[in-house]
Amino acid sequence: MKILVPLKRTADPDNANKVKIAPGGGKIVTDGLEPKPNPFDEYAVETALRLTENGTNPKVRLAGDSVVIVSMGPKESAATIRQALAMGADSGLVYETTDEALDGDLVARALARVVAQEKPDLVVMGKQAVDGDSNQVGQILAERLGWPSATFAMSIELSADKKSVIVGREVDGGVIKLKLTLPAVVTVDLRIVSPKSVSNNVTPATHAYQDGARYAPLPMIMAAKKKPIAEAPFASLGEQGLTTTYLRFEQPPSRKAGIKVKDVAELVQRLRSEAKVL
Amino acid sequence: MANAPTRAQIEALAARLSPNVVSTDASDLVTYGRDWTKVHTPAPSAILLPRSTHEVAEIMRFCDIHELAVVPSGGRTGLAAGAVAAHGELVLSLERMHAMHEVDTLGQTVRVQAGAVTEAVHRHCEPHGLTWPVDFASKGSSQVGGNIATNAGGVKVIRYGLTRQWVLGLEVVLANGTVLSLNGALEKNNTGVDLRQLMIGSEGTLGIVTEATLKLARLPTRLDVMLFAVRDLDAVLSLFAAARTGPFALSAFEFFTDRCLARVQRHRTIRAPFADTSHSHYVLVETDSADPEALELWVASLFERELITDGTMAQNSSQARSLWELRESISESLSGTGLPHKNDIALPIAALREFCASLDALFARQYPEFEICLFGHIGDGNLHVNVMKPEAMSREEFFARTSEADHAMFSLVKSHGGSISAEHGVGLLKKPYLGYSRTPEELMALRAIKQALDPKRILNPGKIFDIPAK
Repeated sequence: MKILVPLKRTADPDNANKVKIAPGGGKIVTDGLEPKPNPFDEYAVETALRLTENGTNPKVRLAGDSVVIVSMGPKESAATIRQALAMGADSGLVYETTDEALDGDLVARALARVVAQEKPDLVVMGKQAVDGDSNQVGQILAERLGWPSATFAMSIELSADKKSVIVGREVDGGVIKLKLTLPAVVTVDLRIVSPKSVSNNVTPATHAYQDGARYAPLPMIMAAKKKPIAEAPFASLGEQGLTTTYLRFEQPPSRKAGIKVKDVAELVQRLRSEAKVL
Repeated sequence: MANAPTRAQIEALAARLSPNVVSTDASDLVTYGRDWTKVHTPAPSAILLPRSTHEVAEIMRFCDIHELAVVPSGGRTGLAAGAVAAHGELVLSLERMHAMHEVDTLGQTVRVQAGAVTEAVHRHCEPHGLTWPVDFASKGSSQVGGNIATNAGGVKVIRYGLTRQWVLGLEVVLANGTVLSLNGALEKNNTGVDLRQLMIGSEGTLGIVTEATLKLARLPTRLDVMLFAVRDLDAVLSLFAAARTGPFALSAFEFFTDRCLARVQRHRTIRAPFADTSHSHYVLVETDSADPEALELWVASLFERELITDGTMAQNSSQARSLWELRESISESLSGTGLPHKNDIALPIAALREFCASLDALFARQYPEFEICLFGHIGDGNLHVNVMKPEAMSREEFFARTSEADHAMFSLVKSHGGSISAEHGVGLLKKPYLGYSRTPEELMALRAIKQALDPKRILNPGKIFDIPAK
């Protein structure tokens, strides 16, 4: 079983409030922000690892299984991939370009080419990247490949014969479960890293994982140094042309400062006369 | 002996000050009447929230004349009941005086008022690539004045030392309302006894800090955070020996036990560091400006030398923060999930191993059925010993038991050349035990200083030591 995990390098999502807009509104400036893996993609890496290992201690990668990380973006994306390799993934691919030269559609088309080369049984990826919040790459990729897909996965169970997965998706009023015949594309949501949300029919059902994506174990950090990351220009995938044009970026209007009221009477009066909600 | 004010006195004082400086609101009295200790019942007469040094001086002149007891108050995150007002005192909070001047990037200093919150000072200096390297879990509430009055320690002491090292100048209001300006912004000033240093760590008993010129340090360019699991307390010390000689500047060496981690996980949603949950002792190591490759070789050698049983290294700053959270949430989690009896002891580094062995034996004897949560800045020789009250035991019995055990532990501390309070101060909580760390001759000298600066004993009365009636 081979799993491909697309991973995006994003500007520090914990400091998103420090993002600036270039004069003229032409683009977003993220200078000085530490690059980090897109958190939803990190959950995808964790999901892929859980699907391909016996999770009891010490964790053992199942024979014949592999997890490959692919990233499209600047050369430095290799360092981000290295973090996923330190978690336990096996190898990485970087297709070098700039973030400005990409949009969701182009990334999906390029990923379809990568899938054709790598021939994974499953693509697991974040439901969206926390910078653009587009939420479309997984869907377009599945459409291009003609593969079944499930988005916003909160649980995933691999069948014993490894020919299908059952994906749980949170919907209004409950969880809907979809059975997908492999190969397939699955995009994951936050809850996929709950202690028992991933089952591969090898790790005992009683095993509970730690909540969240794992910290890289020290031996794995050392081993990650020697794991292969292949680098190639994005153009080598033979896909080009943006379908999205960004016209202009602007800051949301700044909020007015709050006021302090003396007492409840004043609060009620202001709610009535100014806020007009009473 | 200082008194509690009458209602008329409170009104007369209020009349001398700008509007709304005095509060006798019931919830304010509770809030401002105590710190993070839960032992004493707060009972101040009024809360004073002055807006300027001038007003602080005005208050002190009034209190001096009428011999009214005053408890200076910062962020009240103290753990020794140094800011507790339980006997009708006036609480003087500096929280409205939180202005911060521009950072002097050449001198690497910043002048701030006492009520500036520690974390706000950090944020204020950060854009200039500078920081005030006084850092601890309660930095979001603690204030500069309180840090100075208590000579606060924290998680970076191993690299930077205590607050004392990072204060250049002070403005202090004395008990009689005199305003002293001490040392300006001078790095060097060798003109006799340094009154600034006398004030630092005096817990509000000698004067009230109203402003300070803080010395700043360059922000570290690269911090690496690692968490290790080790076999036992002895292994913690072996790892420390290895870290002391590692190829980096050590900026933190913190340890905690599985019981602390379990309390943290009961109190907060926080992910466990390792898949294997059977470890008993954890060490957080932070290094400053380490060469990445040298650091990794060192870390790899830890496994080979069997100094650690498990470990991880933060791959980015979010993970570094999450690992720090495990350590920094301990104090809050112990209080949030039970009633801890806290001790904060210091030992000479060289005596740690022997002391810890004796401590284990002591615990087995004194606390056979108690849950002991041990953590601390072991790189500074500083251990936080927390004994949790068993659910079924009454508070009274619990405090009686812990007080008895404290005497036994402090004897051990004394015989190993340690201190009964490493960084929490003395306040009310450690007062009965001060004799384990200070000789009668030292106490005599300290009382003489107190007598000279606060003859009416109105500043934070009853804290650190008592003065026998004449």
